[in-house]
Amino acid sequence: MLKLIKEVLRVGEATLPYPFAPMEMMPGFRGKPVHDPELCIACAACAIACPPNAISITTDLDQGYQSWHLFVGRCIYCARCEEVCPTGAISLSPNFELAVMNKDDLREQADYQLAACSQCGIFFAPVKEIEYMLAMLQQSGASVENVAIARQLLSVCPECKRKNDIPKLASLYQNNSVSQEAV
Amino acid sequence: MVGKNGNYGDVYIPGVPNSRYAIQQDPNAGQLKGALLKDIARSVYVYRVDCGGCNGCEIEIFASITPLFDVERFGIKVVSSPRHADVLVYTGAMTRAMRIPALRAYHAAPEPKICVAYGACGSSGGIFHDLYCVWGGADKIVPVDVYIPGCPPTPGATIYGFAMALGLLGQKMKAVHHVQEDGERAQLRYPELPSGLRVGIEREARRMAGYLHGKTIADSFLDIVTTNQNDGFEKVDQEIQVYLEKQDDPRLTEIFTRLQEIYHAERK
Repeated sequence: MLKLIKEVLRVGEATLPYPFAPMEMMPGFRGKPVHDPELCIACAACAIACPPNAISITTDLDQGYQSWHLFVGRCIYCARCEEVCPTGAISLSPNFELAVMNKDDLREQADYQLAACSQCGIFFAPVKEIEYMLAMLQQSGASVENVAIARQLLSVCPECKRKNDIPKLASLYQNNSVSQEAV
Repeated sequence: MVGKNGNYGDVYIPGVPNSRYAIQQDPNAGQLKGALLKDIARSVYVYRVDCGGCNGCEIEIFASITPLFDVERFGIKVVSSPRHADVLVYTGAMTRAMRIPALRAYHAAPEPKICVAYGACGSSGGIFHDLYCVWGGADKIVPVDVYIPGCPPTPGATIYGFAMALGLLGQKMKAVHHVQEDGERAQLRYPELPSGLRVGIEREARRMAGYLHGKTIADSFLDIVTTNQNDGFEKVDQEIQVYLEKQDDPRLTEIFTRLQEIYHAERK
């Protein structure tokens, strides 16, 4: 008996003091995904990567908004979103105290403006994404004129680009056939 | 509480999906629950209903009754019959086959009772939310008072959730809605470095250490480079050496050596 008491005293108290003291989490613990809406460019890479569709994107083409949604209640804390995020806007925090009374408190939303096509006026891509691409282009050493050209190209939606290309392609084809006839 | 036609669940509300199994709560349920929490002079008995989970949540519930986390010091005790239970914990996605047993457990527990949706699946169906046999979270069948998300929730999250269900701790999460402001722009990562160098280092780190760890390793490398490169390249190499000695990890050293080679090549 004395031996047992000695052993107990030697081992001490094993129980963690949580919730009376904060719990120490190990490095690399994956808790609640924290989204920095300022850094986010609404590119939807995380929504595509998310296995349980906890992150989703909805597009409102009438109002010109793209909304980023996170429903923590469905998150499995796999950090795939952190892996794929090009700007580092989302990362998994050590926060594990996520219990709620009201399910809607588990939801997060961020709305981003869409850019309208300069020709047809249809919304086609988030403004922040386009600006981020141009900033990257500038950083990679492109000249001011090239960035200006890129800005013009990026202000046109893919559909209009295709339509613009048709006359060019047609003239190219005509020139080709003419030159072939000449040969 | 068996319905008129002998089925479990009470009323069928036309136009509301799954409502044949919906439960009509006592109008005084909130008051009764408050009284239960206030006047309870004994331990809280918890019954665990697995509606079709992967057993991860069960393992974490049992981890939280071990001496390390020890929820029994708050009087929370896991019992083996819903008839003894004050708290019902629903784990796993609500599957079609388990909806009736889940209801039977609910009706077997004496009023007033507290329902907890446990884990990502219990809260919303989790990763199984769009499976053919999954109806969603526990709240599709029973009225839920507390949601404990997590996949699975750690014992810490379990203790926090139970403490919240018993009214001992407050809620910390709240809904967030951000609307883009005019002129809001995303900052580039490491704008002081040439983008080719950043991309090269990130690619190599991810190739060697996998995506998630590769990113953290590349970030720590680039942090050292950006904070010290104004003091000369020798200073960068020195700081990297100090960092590696502090970390004392041969795998990290190998990856950093490779990243340093890329950095040296780019510098020339």
